[in-house]
Amino acid sequence: MADALAIQPDVRFLKRVLASGGGDLKKCYQCATCSVACELAPEESPFPRKQMMEAQWGLKAQLLCDPAIWLCHNCGKCTERCPRGARPGDVLGAVRREAIRHFAFPGWMGALVADPKWLPLLFLLPALIFAAVAFWAPKPVPAPPFEFGSVFPASVLEPLFFAISGFALLAFAVGVVRFARGIGETPSAGFGAALKDIAAHQSFKQCDDASMRLAHQLTMWGFAGLAMVGTATGIGTMAGVLRTPLALESPLKIFANLAAAASLAGVTLLLARRVGRPASTYFDWFFLAALSGVVFTGIAAELLRLAEARAMYGVYFVHLVLIFGLLLYAPYSKFAHLAYRTVAMARSRKFNARS
Amino acid sequence: MNSGSGKPVMVIGGGIAGLTAAVELADAGCAVILVEKSAGLGGRVARMHQYFPKLCPPACGLEMHFRRLRGNAAITVLTLAELTSVSGSPGDYEAAVTVRPRCVTESCTLCGECAKVCPAEREDDYNYGLAKTRAAYLPHGMTYPALYAIDRTACPANCRACVDACRYGAIRLDEQPEVRRYSVSAIIAATGWKPYDASRLDHLGYGRCRNVVTNVMLERMAATDGPTAGRILRPSDGKEPRTVAFVQCAGSRDENHLPYCSAACCAASIKHAAYIRALYPETAITIFYIDIRTPGRLEEFYARASKDTNIRLIKGKVAEVAESPTGDLLVTAEDALANRKSTMQFELVVLATGIVPQTDGLPEGFRRDEFGFLNVPNRNGGLLAAGCVRRPAEVSFSVQDATGAALKALQCANRSVSHGR
Repeated sequence: MADALAIQPDVRFLKRVLASGGGDLKKCYQCATCSVACELAPEESPFPRKQMMEAQWGLKAQLLCDPAIWLCHNCGKCTERCPRGARPGDVLGAVRREAIRHFAFPGWMGALVADPKWLPLLFLLPALIFAAVAFWAPKPVPAPPFEFGSVFPASVLEPLFFAISGFALLAFAVGVVRFARGIGETPSAGFGAALKDIAAHQSFKQCDDASMRLAHQLTMWGFAGLAMVGTATGIGTMAGVLRTPLALESPLKIFANLAAAASLAGVTLLLARRVGRPASTYFDWFFLAALSGVVFTGIAAELLRLAEARAMYGVYFVHLVLIFGLLLYAPYSKFAHLAYRTVAMARSRKFNARS
Repeated sequence: MNSGSGKPVMVIGGGIAGLTAAVELADAGCAVILVEKSAGLGGRVARMHQYFPKLCPPACGLEMHFRRLRGNAAITVLTLAELTSVSGSPGDYEAAVTVRPRCVTESCTLCGECAKVCPAEREDDYNYGLAKTRAAYLPHGMTYPALYAIDRTACPANCRACVDACRYGAIRLDEQPEVRRYSVSAIIAATGWKPYDASRLDHLGYGRCRNVVTNVMLERMAATDGPTAGRILRPSDGKEPRTVAFVQCAGSRDENHLPYCSAACCAASIKHAAYIRALYPETAITIFYIDIRTPGRLEEFYARASKDTNIRLIKGKVAEVAESPTGDLLVTAEDALANRKSTMQFELVVLATGIVPQTDGLPEGFRRDEFGFLNVPNRNGGLLAAGCVRRPAEVSFSVQDATGAALKALQCANRSVSHGR
């Protein structure tokens, strides 16, 4: 052989993939059934057969900078068809988890969110913060009954959440830049096409899994709506042009409630699908539990407030803790797929446009 | 030489393994009762066009066995017979065999008049359903015993056409099944194999696409005594295909179907490619494989095929087959060495279906492994197995395996004598 290729397996990476959902990886014998079973796998460099081999070999660098791992929408068809029970879909999921951890900024946050042993700490932090807010933050005088602001004043919450969101956005930006550098090219040209695909859930359509597509679409648009309302209300209250609670008939509130309903339907469908999947990991559950917890407690808090039940404050407290977790830990949880997948899709679209 | 207790050994199955065990036992001085389910000996080997890797006809080997069998007083051949129950212990078994009526006596001269006048048809399993025979039929050209048989399940009510046509008075339509009991020292199950049911491979199109056939069907097409008289014709329009794809591991090495390797399909497909290349030199062949498994002397057989420019070998399992309006097949696979997925068009697709152990109707006592093969070591036992029912294999292995089983049976017989049983 003229040029010997030195393969440098990363054993720690391999062990982590095996431990986090890729436990059957070594059963793969490279038959390539998976690459055909996958409707999303392109003709040039289809996945996940090649990624299975790279994972077996512990080729961390290749895998984590491979856009293909993000093109998978985890429908599970490859796993179902695999003649060896090597569960390629779950292996890609585990590799994505490693990618999120690898590109995390700051890195120790990635490690913290990925490990179940830190779970109590992750939620103790916001619980203490919001308990402190409830006890010590200056309250409006007089405090109107059955308003969240009477216990958790907006003047404290809004800056707090803007700070958390700002930090999460920064972490996302650093992660994405790291990933984009790893890919080797700056994927700018394909972004338009990628965002169009994401908005319409085109790739999901190819997956031929109607229930997943609906669940994801409802959840994504529901949360996008809630994020918009939240931001608008936050800016509005800080600027002094809005005051919460908004009247039920105000357009912003109607929009917020519609978004909440869409999210509720979406996460319910996602939960129903997840419950039946034997290979769900802590990483899967962390994100889905935070996501659905936010929706359930948010709607419950609103209903309790309308019913003028004092339990509204307790539920709202849990709601705040979960939102805090969802936002602050987004760049290190499965939530991060929204950034990495978009970049990967942009890259892949760019390729398609060129050929 | 007198073998052991003097009790005979029973061999179940008249294919290549059972025949081998029977003649080897008889040559060692042991009486044998050879029990065959169908109307004639020969089994799956008789249905072959050629053996790999030498590409010689099965007549060699099978014919030799028949010659050793014929006129050998030590061997009792029971056809249309099945072992229905076994009791006892090593060296001393009581075996009950149910013999179905052949309805044709030894007076048969193979004149064939009965089949000419017979109005009824039956599925021809010798040709894997590619043809039909009359209810009065000859199992195949080389069959032993050389007698016609009447399949009474296919006969119309009160029909006696064959009886009237037979000038030798060889037909007895009123024969009844009978149960015969034998005292034997050991029993060798050489019941062989059956092809994996291709209709269960829904993604590979068998039964859905007309021009998807199995490897055993192709073997019959290639055989000169087969339904197409030796020509490879695709089922939809009888066209001689110019492009043929072989799908390896069609069911084998797949935990959703057969978790094990069927051992013979790789060499069989290379053999089939050789048939097609000899018949139609212009035809292009593509073999889709996971791994080509041709150990030992078969390596050279594979090397020859891989040098043939009309044979393309693609590493990648076919996972999807669809039919085009013209009856051609659209085959999707990833070429794993090129990391490229594509859909290719072929005029004929052959599924290399695997080997399933044939243990239907075998009484309790024969121990099965996790895959259903009779491959459980049974030291000092008298219920033995040989050939493809023990493990998936090529013909030459089955022959050797049967010789080994014959020795085991002799040891079992002798042990029971020396222990005074």
